[in-house]
Amino acid sequence: MSQTIPHTASRPMRFSSFVSRHAVSFYPVLVILALIVFFGVQNPYFATFDNAMNIGRQSSVLLLVALAGTMVIMIGSIDLSVGSIVTLSGIVAALAIDPLGPSASVLAGIGVGLMVGFVNGMTLVTLKVPSFLVTLGMLSVLSGIANMICGGSSIMFMDQGLTELVNSELVPGLPNIILIALVTAAILTFVAFKTVLGRYLFAIGGGEVVAANAGVPVNRYKVYAFMLSGGLCGLAGVLLTSQVGAGTPAAGANMLLDSIAAIVMGGTALSGGIGGPQRTILGVLVIAILSNGMDVTEVSSFTQEVVKGLVIILAVASTIDRKKYLFIK
Amino acid sequence: MTAPPPALELRAVTKRYGTVTALGGVDLVLPRHGVLGLVGENGAGKSTLISVINGTARPTDGQILVNGRAVSLGSPSEAARAGIATVFQEQGLVANLRVYENMLLGREQQFSRAGVLGSAAMKRFARKVLGELGIVIDPDAITGELAFGERQLLEIAKAFALGHLYPVEPIVLLDEPTSALSDRETDILFESIRRWRGKASIVLVSHRLSDVFAVCDAVTTLKDGRVSGHWPITEATPDILHEAIVGRPRSAGYYKESEQRVALGDVVLSLRDVHVPGRLDGVSVEVRAGEILGVAGVLGSGKTVLGQVITGAVRPSRGEISVHGRRLTPGSRIAALSADIGSVPAERNTAGVIGMHSVQSNLVLPSLRRFRLPRLPILSSRRQAETTDRWIERLRVKTAGRTQQIRNLSGGNAQKIVFAKWLARGVRVFVLDDPGRGLDVGAKEEIYSLLRNLARENVAIVLISDNLPEVIGLSNRIITFRSGAVSAEIAAPAHDKPSETSVVTNMV
Repeated sequence: MSQTIPHTASRPMRFSSFVSRHAVSFYPVLVILALIVFFGVQNPYFATFDNAMNIGRQSSVLLLVALAGTMVIMIGSIDLSVGSIVTLSGIVAALAIDPLGPSASVLAGIGVGLMVGFVNGMTLVTLKVPSFLVTLGMLSVLSGIANMICGGSSIMFMDQGLTELVNSELVPGLPNIILIALVTAAILTFVAFKTVLGRYLFAIGGGEVVAANAGVPVNRYKVYAFMLSGGLCGLAGVLLTSQVGAGTPAAGANMLLDSIAAIVMGGTALSGGIGGPQRTILGVLVIAILSNGMDVTEVSSFTQEVVKGLVIILAVASTIDRKKYLFIK
Repeated sequence: MTAPPPALELRAVTKRYGTVTALGGVDLVLPRHGVLGLVGENGAGKSTLISVINGTARPTDGQILVNGRAVSLGSPSEAARAGIATVFQEQGLVANLRVYENMLLGREQQFSRAGVLGSAAMKRFARKVLGELGIVIDPDAITGELAFGERQLLEIAKAFALGHLYPVEPIVLLDEPTSALSDRETDILFESIRRWRGKASIVLVSHRLSDVFAVCDAVTTLKDGRVSGHWPITEATPDILHEAIVGRPRSAGYYKESEQRVALGDVVLSLRDVHVPGRLDGVSVEVRAGEILGVAGVLGSGKTVLGQVITGAVRPSRGEISVHGRRLTPGSRIAALSADIGSVPAERNTAGVIGMHSVQSNLVLPSLRRFRLPRLPILSSRRQAETTDRWIERLRVKTAGRTQQIRNLSGGNAQKIVFAKWLARGVRVFVLDDPGRGLDVGAKEEIYSLLRNLARENVAIVLISDNLPEVIGLSNRIITFRSGAVSAEIAAPAHDKPSETSVVTNMV
């Protein structure tokens, strides 16, 4: 690797300048370490392997949803329907599992997500409605449909095949749900940096006009981004349903805010073009550790909400590179 | 009676950024009611000097006097109170506001009673200022809907508007005001400057020596952060200034006329009876391999639309465009691209490069699919890096490396990357819209050499530009546009270049 770097860049970099150049990537790590030390001192159980796996199980679904959001935020758009896709596809999967079997229910859940993503993307590019509004409307539509399907109550199912699969361990010690989330994160990171798809998404977010001039089929790739987001949320919904053992109409309720907070804390700019899935993993960890830490130290759930909101604001305030922004809106 | 103090005087102004000296003891005098030209290459310190004068940057050392009184350094508000107004190269207008709102942005309190804005009074005032300047823009128009050139004129009007509002005589700093203006708009601007001569003192920063000779009464050159010369305009000549700016005499044949091809190849690009409603009216053009076709015209004449039609950005309502005899799907960028039509847009920062991305990401974007591994949807990092390094070296791009964010490159080097994007892909037709915009003379010269090389390699080049000497110097043939149609076709062989006048007469 070092031979291919031009000589101008091979000067040994001083540690301080290295830190300042990579500060955006470091801050979430520092926040995570600080949280671990803080909660570990409060309750020794916090810093155990068991609890680490708890955190993993609790945050796997959020990670998938945040990754989904990242793919859309990369192009400078936003998908506010992520949480409601999780809910709807979770309910569809719960309905499908007994009559059709586990694999068909997985496909049904992901299919619902892909379809919603397709509709989101096509509405955006053909009717030129900003993604914020398209997906805000879709959020309401999907929540309504989900409630209409299940009449406001949870949908139970008998077939435990999926639930067992999600909780068993292909890699000893590591529940499959965590494995799926981590593998997905790795694949998406690869896609973002090493494939035409990923590079086009970054280019669209960085400068749509430039991308169009370079021959990037901008509209088609925008639709792809929303389908990626929808499909991933569909998968998240299926996993959540199998983890919980039921499809519930409030399943994805908290996902939207937590995922956007995770994405921005990780370092993907809402304006698009920079960041990526690898960043989002760190953001999700911050939120997951915080929630779990407050659980094990028995902080009341109301206080938790307040603390979480404050930490998100503080973390974002200290991580974003404000020099890059001319305006804050 | 002693002579009145100069409107603006800089004494030994020095500005250091860390170890870099941007300005090294600059002395400058702008007499009252004078028009001072300030010229220099990119990086010579012109922009730093402007920001020091208007208070947005605080000099490390030195003194700034307005009308003989020292002003505190690094205070934009005090500079504004002293009457210093800046018209920036990058436009400082809010696109969604109306023209009169922009002209009075931040000064509304003078037009409001009890917190309620007096829109009628604001409009009257705006109309009066625009009228005095001879600028035909509706004060009620939405700023974002104006053409680039009109916005630039508006920006200048905004600076002049301050002169009416403050009890001080304005000192107007014009930073590259003509780089995006058509000749007609440039004339309007210069006329305004002449008309205002008794009411304001002006510093004009420009790349174009012709601007300086047209309107200034003295000229100061900057080189490497120091004043390299100062002349009354009557004693300055283009050659003297060029040498003071670049540090060496002007090379003979700035536009490389000697390399202009005489024998051309077959017809590569042909447009037949192309219509775009209200913008192009039955345009037929042919460009041969190795030919540089210059396209001249005032703003709105259709010259820009011609480029957009060729690159597929605008869909013609009638007519056909073909490359090597193969007809293109009209209005399709992808079709234009698969016929190897490349383009260098006029607005480099919004249409040419993605500033926050690396040199490499920008360079490989149009040809990204070629970097996939055989039979796999994976991009080869090694091949992308090799290609990038090869073009950095071949075009002598000054950059810390291929991972450098492109916004950290100078205009000339970023423009080289825009060229390299297409060269790496391979082009048969190259459409350039004002390729020298915002570049200093040295960078321009390199870009011109590049164009000559491309012509030698049988690329058909369409050169759209407001810079007439550039169009005349580089082109084999020039077409002029007037109200959407070709008004003249003028041969421009290397040994017998047409005069600017003969081109201009066909534009207006």
